Amino acid sequence: MAGAETATYDLGFAKWVAGNISGADKLSMCMQCGMCSGSCPIGTQMDHGPRKLIMMIRAGMRDAVLSANTLWNCTQCYNCTVRCPRGIPVTEILQGLATVAVAEGHAGGEPTARFSEAFWWSLAKFGRTDERLVTSRFYFSAGLAEGVRKSRENLAIALRMIKARRMHLGAPHKIKRRKNLQAILAKAREIEARGAGEGD
Amino acid sequence: MAEAAKTAVYLCAGCGIGEAVSIEALEAVATGESKASSCRRHDHLCDDAGVATIQADIDSGAAERIVIAACSERVNADRFRFDGTPPIRCDLRERVAWSQPPGAEDTQMLAADYVRMALAEAEKSAPPSGQADPGTSKTILVVGGGVSGLTAALESARAGYQVMLVERASDLGGHGAKWSKRMPHRPPYRLPQDNDIGALIAAVTAEPRITVHTRSRVVSTAGGPGRFLVTLDSGGTTIEETLGAIVVATGWRPYDATKLGHLGYGASPDVVTGVELETMLGAGELACKSDGRRPAAVAFIQCAGSRDPDHLPYCSSICCGVSIKQALMIRERVPDSSVYIIHDELRTPGTAEAFYRAAQAAGVIFMKGKVSAVGADLTVTVEDVLLGETVAMAGLDLVVLATGMMPNATAPEAEAIAPQPAPDIDPLAPILAAGATVPEPGSEDASEDDSGPEIGSILNLQYRQGPHLPILADGFADSHFLCFPYETRRSGIYTCGPVRRPMDMAESATDATGAALKAIQAIEAAAAGTALHPRGGDLSFPRINLDPCTKCRRCTVECPFGAIDESDDDYPVVEVARCRRCGTCMGACPVRTISFENYSVEMVSAMIKAVEVPDEFAEKPRVLVLACRNDAIPALDMAGISGTRYSPFARVVPVRCLGSVSALWISDALSTGYDGVILMGCKAGDDYQCHFVKGSAITQERMGKIAETLKSMMLEEERVVTHEVAIADARRAPELIDSFLDTIAEIGPNPFKGF
Amino acid sequence: MRETPKKRYTYYPGCSSLGSAAHLDKSLRAIAPELDVELEDIEDWNCCGASVGHVEGGALPNMALSGRNLAQAASQAPDDIVTGCASCYLNTHGVNEKIKTDIRARRRVNEALGAADLCYDDDLQVRHACEVLVNDVGLDVIRDRVRNPLDGLEVAGYVGCQTVRPFADTDSGGRYDTYDDPAFLDNFAAACGAEPVAYDPKTACCGGSVSVHSPDKTLHLIKEIVAAAHDSGADVIATPCPLCQQNVEMYQAAINKRFGTDFHMPVVFYSQLMAVAFGLDGTAAALDQNMIPPAKLVDLAKKPNE
Repeated sequence: MAGAETATYDLGFAKWVAGNISGADKLSMCMQCGMCSGSCPIGTQMDHGPRKLIMMIRAGMRDAVLSANTLWNCTQCYNCTVRCPRGIPVTEILQGLATVAVAEGHAGGEPTARFSEAFWWSLAKFGRTDERLVTSRFYFSAGLAEGVRKSRENLAIALRMIKARRMHLGAPHKIKRRKNLQAILAKAREIEARGAGEGD
Repeated sequence: MAEAAKTAVYLCAGCGIGEAVSIEALEAVATGESKASSCRRHDHLCDDAGVATIQADIDSGAAERIVIAACSERVNADRFRFDGTPPIRCDLRERVAWSQPPGAEDTQMLAADYVRMALAEAEKSAPPSGQADPGTSKTILVVGGGVSGLTAALESARAGYQVMLVERASDLGGHGAKWSKRMPHRPPYRLPQDNDIGALIAAVTAEPRITVHTRSRVVSTAGGPGRFLVTLDSGGTTIEETLGAIVVATGWRPYDATKLGHLGYGASPDVVTGVELETMLGAGELACKSDGRRPAAVAFIQCAGSRDPDHLPYCSSICCGVSIKQALMIRERVPDSSVYIIHDELRTPGTAEAFYRAAQAAGVIFMKGKVSAVGADLTVTVEDVLLGETVAMAGLDLVVLATGMMPNATAPEAEAIAPQPAPDIDPLAPILAAGATVPEPGSEDASEDDSGPEIGSILNLQYRQGPHLPILADGFADSHFLCFPYETRRSGIYTCGPVRRPMDMAESATDATGAALKAIQAIEAAAAGTALHPRGGDLSFPRINLDPCTKCRRCTVECPFGAIDESDDDYPVVEVARCRRCGTCMGACPVRTISFENYSVEMVSAMIKAVEVPDEFAEKPRVLVLACRNDAIPALDMAGISGTRYSPFARVVPVRCLGSVSALWISDALSTGYDGVILMGCKAGDDYQCHFVKGSAITQERMGKIAETLKSMMLEEERVVTHEVAIADARRAPELIDSFLDTIAEIGPNPFKGF
Repeated sequence: MRETPKKRYTYYPGCSSLGSAAHLDKSLRAIAPELDVELEDIEDWNCCGASVGHVEGGALPNMALSGRNLAQAASQAPDDIVTGCASCYLNTHGVNEKIKTDIRARRRVNEALGAADLCYDDDLQVRHACEVLVNDVGLDVIRDRVRNPLDGLEVAGYVGCQTVRPFADTDSGGRYDTYDDPAFLDNFAAACGAEPVAYDPKTACCGGSVSVHSPDKTLHLIKEIVAAAHDSGADVIATPCPLCQQNVEMYQAAINKRFGTDFHMPVVFYSQLMAVAFGLDGTAAALDQNMIPPAKLVDLAKKPNE
């Protein structure tokens, strides 16, 4: 992140987060006790635990927050959320930040972002997620070679899933009224693009 | 005198005493060998019939002195109260029936010894005849007209007492009058509340029992409770007044921010203290001092010069709440402002937690970190421990230093040129052998009088210990917060509010009420001629036979309360109203010429010698326990109440204070054949718990002398031990006795046994 | 026979019912009539967005997914919606509660639904199948339906995260158990005649969708979950969660490879235990769809049919 000696605290980002991320209106109540980070099953693999990420939001470190791998490594176990003594929905706030990070191009090649892209592609196109298609789209999202490598690596699992009739090889699972769903999603994106506080 | 008195013994058989020991055998001890004039047994002496029996004997003249051999002196004092005939209490319950096996030979011997000791006490003491001329003023002097002083004055007046309120400034209200809002002290404790000190000032002004003297100070304080002679300088006019008790509520002053250059104070007009911010907030529109702009970004720096070994070492306890209040006020006045509170630990106990949360909800940002520098451009360099980084906060418009509180234990105007006085409980006065060289008055005064001439005094006390209020730690005029709150070690003078310890307005008001009640107690005790806490009701006082007096001054020097002074010809003179009846003078006197009617060296010696000491072949050792009445005796009582068994070989003599213990008692005990002596007193040291300030500390000093005595008697040093026993040591006190008996078993019996 | 009125619910199977958790769906549908429960599927239901939809799709589109399902369910019946999938439950329940309490969210979701002439202005309840089993059906009824007690089967009850967090101990979530030490799964196993073993990581995290796309980050978490069951002597791990079942089952080979272990711990759904205990055969219990065959449970399933 930016050179420490020149960091400037700027409440603008914290205010923006509070107003635009679902659940983040409670962020100001954080007392930095660290229960969230201490409860995180994968916190040791994060650049910053949730506690510190919240402090960084307060400190106005926008880029550092949105490029933190915290957003991608969250397993959504909700331990932090149910244990927070101040009732802050930490998981929900991390989800909201992840969405912003993707939209603003901070996600890079993060697997979570690529996986989500594949997932959303399937559900928006067919109305349902077809695990086989999502998985292979995800594998190949990192390039052809990587896709082939991953596919071969996981071939054994795939074959066993097929054998157990838990993965199918036929046409994708689809809903009937796909146009209807797609219209809803398009409208929702349009509403969201209007931004907070505008037109609603 | 006492020998002629008819002494009646009343043996109670209730509460298990009758099952534990043979009452008949005790009757034989009382009336036979110990020459009591009568002895009655009763199954429940504290019931109406039992009390009536005693009263009837007193009324008929059959009982001139009474010994109640029943429960501990600490219980049923109200049942066994007979006007003019104070009972000698002999504890056969807590210290015998409840802590020893019933029916055992040793239990019976213990009880018999306690009866003998009580009769010896009766023989060698007399009911105190009381004071001839107790002080009678019932007016309370309150020094300081801030929240604490105003409340103390109002509470005293509403309780029916006249009050003289003295304030140095021209207006009442003190610091409290400067705040536009105060921290919340009523539910829901979430928002700053309007400052209601105006109503308090109006109530004081309207109260007919209160006389207010503004622009005034105390130039001299002499006398004692009930008859303090106080001289005021009131705007140039001298006023002399006799007063009953004194409440000092001189409050506090902010720490000198000019010492905080590293935090930018002085480098920019926009670095201000919390107190200065109050003035800015009170001025209406909030504006920076430099250019009048509205501050859009404000940082509070907590612990500015507090909890810092280079500045104030302590926490002032209110600064976190004050900054939260001010931050909320700024957020309200400047809604788009960014307000940061940079703290180390945020201390918001109790209801202040709600206040803290309200500030969080209002968008105040709390940062945990250490500020290393504040630049002239208001850049705050902070080691943000929550981010784990050193950051430079730029773009601030206002930096507020939350400075701490300093007590006005001395008069403020002289503070800048003089250091704080050192606590006066040390050094201890030297203990001298009889006939040894008396220290020069000058050198002795230098060790006792801790004043520098240039320090202004609040009360200008005309005491041999000097003009100042005693202080405890960090310059606060405090005492033990649990054992004797508000007391100052100057009888009848109490402190309250921030001069005692840092506190806010609400706490100060509560504190002032407590001090007012203590002042009222002092006035009433003085009028009745009795001692103050913890010997409330005691009519005795030290009587000094000047014939043997060597003018050694140990009594005057060691008296913790300055109650004994020297006359013009250097003899000790007792200011009875100041005396707390601890007996420290008695223990100090090398020629044993100081005594109380109901407590004397001779009396305790007689009690010690009244015990029957078996010869060494009986294998029944005897140990004398000299136990402080304030803590050790209650601890032993509680041991009995909880049924703790301990050695039947100990004989306990309650003493007023270890300071009253005479070395003679120890040599008497050892020459009588006791195998050892345990002294149980209160905690000594900086956090002492001795009700008489230095009894335990003095004893520790005197133990050196006692060791010499033992050596001269060719006895082992281990035969005399001192322990600090707290009131909660109900388990430990019996263990100390048992383990001491193990020690005695190891070193063997006292070779003087039988001589 | 006891006369119990049938309980009707609108059923949301979720995408995993068509793939990785087909055996959950199948066994749930099999035990429902045994417990006098009638399930009617949400017609033309769509994906809930699971735990990654919001990242690419955004918050409101993600909410709109559940909005469509809620609107469809409301148009069918006023019954409570029930789902067996933790993720479907989390999203659908969460959106439903948000719509109830947050006027702005309600308005925005309905504006989006308006694009398909749909509207959700109802007051449905969205419930987890386990909560329904605890609060509506009850352990007594489950115990009462057991015809083939799972004698001697030692079960490690692995609840996972999202089945209980963050809703199990809330009013809207039915307050049916705790977040950290839930008892319901062990109670289910015991009601079926099996023996729940002491099992510490019952609410540990399997890595969720992170395990699906980046198992390198989370394999150690799954290893602990399997190892604790192995060490406690369990014959099977039972779980209510599709993603837990899949992660804990399919990565055992990778764990054995990386950590040098030799785990072959079957991972079944509680509903499969119930199906066998209720006397249904192995096919109805979908035991043939577990990649690591639960041998002991398979044997138990043969008993009543011998």
